[in-house]
Amino acid sequence: MKHSFIDRYAHLDSPLHMLEARTKIIGFMALVIAVLTVRAGGVGHFFILFFLISILAGISQIPMPYVVGRTLLLLPFVLLAGLAAPWKGSAGWSWFLLLVMRSVLCLLVLVILTNTTRFVELLRGLRKLGCPKLVVANLSFLYRYLFVLADEAMRMKQARDCRRVGRAGIFAELRTLGSMLGTLMVRSFEHADQMYRAMLSRGFSGEFMVIAPRKCSWRDLVFIAVVAVIIAATLYL
Amino acid sequence: MHLPDGFLTNRIAFSLDALSGASILFAARRVKQEFSARVVPVMGVFSAFIFAAQMLNFPLFGGTSGHLVGGALLGIVLGPMAGFLTMATVVIAQALFLQDGGLVAIGANLFNIAALPAFLGYFVYRMLGAPNAPGSRLSIAGFLAGWLSVVAAAAACAVELGLSSAVPMSVGLPAMAGYHAVIGVFEGLLTALVISFLARVRPDLLKKEFSPAFGITDWVGAIVLVAAPLSILVLAGSSQLPDPLQALLTEPSAASGSQESLLSPARYSDLQRFLIYLVLLGVCVVAYSAARILRIRRGRP
Repeated sequence: MKHSFIDRYAHLDSPLHMLEARTKIIGFMALVIAVLTVRAGGVGHFFILFFLISILAGISQIPMPYVVGRTLLLLPFVLLAGLAAPWKGSAGWSWFLLLVMRSVLCLLVLVILTNTTRFVELLRGLRKLGCPKLVVANLSFLYRYLFVLADEAMRMKQARDCRRVGRAGIFAELRTLGSMLGTLMVRSFEHADQMYRAMLSRGFSGEFMVIAPRKCSWRDLVFIAVVAVIIAATLYL
Repeated sequence: MHLPDGFLTNRIAFSLDALSGASILFAARRVKQEFSARVVPVMGVFSAFIFAAQMLNFPLFGGTSGHLVGGALLGIVLGPMAGFLTMATVVIAQALFLQDGGLVAIGANLFNIAALPAFLGYFVYRMLGAPNAPGSRLSIAGFLAGWLSVVAAAAACAVELGLSSAVPMSVGLPAMAGYHAVIGVFEGLLTALVISFLARVRPDLLKKEFSPAFGITDWVGAIVLVAAPLSILVLAGSSQLPDPLQALLTEPSAASGSQESLLSPARYSDLQRFLIYLVLLGVCVVAYSAARILRIRRGRP
């Protein structure tokens, strides 16, 4: 089965994809923090940041429908806050606007970051920035085994649907699902055991290697410089 | 449940970031001391398992569907430290893969969805003496662990939103906790079913190997991990540091009157402001399209 919901556009070819993972993590993190610290009432500042982010999104070649679709993730929270807005007094709606703009911009930054960096490189960047080895190892196992286990889960689901006519009651459903999950868990455990032996026999030392990692270049300097200038401009304008 | 960026005030988001970072480092150290390297692939594959398990959903009332969250289950099977780390991996991956939960808000999400369920689930399970109990007692312990973990996570989420003055606590807390008290029943049932399935099929998985005894250092660590966020939250809620979200609510005059720069929205009427926003939005869309059409390629062939 095909799963393409992870780093879907990370294999495109753009200047942003060429950057080193560490640069991108630091740069985009700085952008998020800049968005979160913009002064109240500084709607203009948001648009400066939004302008920069749109250009970055354009450069990265991520299609617009995908980006817009991702922002729908925010909808439940926006609705919840929207319900609360009328109780906030006179500033309620400008507060709501600020909230929506903050969250949308942050989400856009996250979308660009994760869709311009291959996951393996992202992990390497995280590791170099001091993320614990165990967590990075966990994440790489997750990335590699997710597809195997997702396939297995989907096959089990198919098998269940084939054997079932109509709708069982909710508790019968839960019983089946409980056994399915238990089976899946036992199988995951067995996968892990086999894998550990295979890894040991191939000399695994706890660190995942990346073939031909990207190096820092002048592009990274340019990117950091541009982001820094824009952030400084929004903070002091 | 996954909080996106922008809804929490900065001081709450950043203090929870620091807290979750510290607890991950602490848990990673403990796991390294406690287990052989064999636990590394087990944790990794179990985090993939949680991801896959969340794809298997069951129909709920009114066309919605639910799925296992799994924090309590991991806490029970792997023990609190390894369970927390595994669930933390899932939360980080959800943010990075699916943009579910923000970059700065990740500390809050780690606390709500990973730390609370794993530790709470494990403690409830232990308190009820389930590890040595057969049959129905095991199921009851599993059910309570699962149910409590979901309700606690929802309540923590509501409290954080309330302290950030994003959603008033008097509305958010009963709504979130109440809704999840109902939904949590299914999480509890699933946790109980999986635990009793494991006890039937692979009892060795639930035995000593991955859930070691909880020593005095762990109690101290756990108390610190629970007490620190509470005090941070209380301090953060009452401190007077300026924060964009709250500043607008507490002193609306400062937001509208004091800045007379070209960028301040107070200079313009409502209609003008709306039009300006529209034009600026258009400019941004044009910028995106222009950058996209230019298709700047990399230098090397």
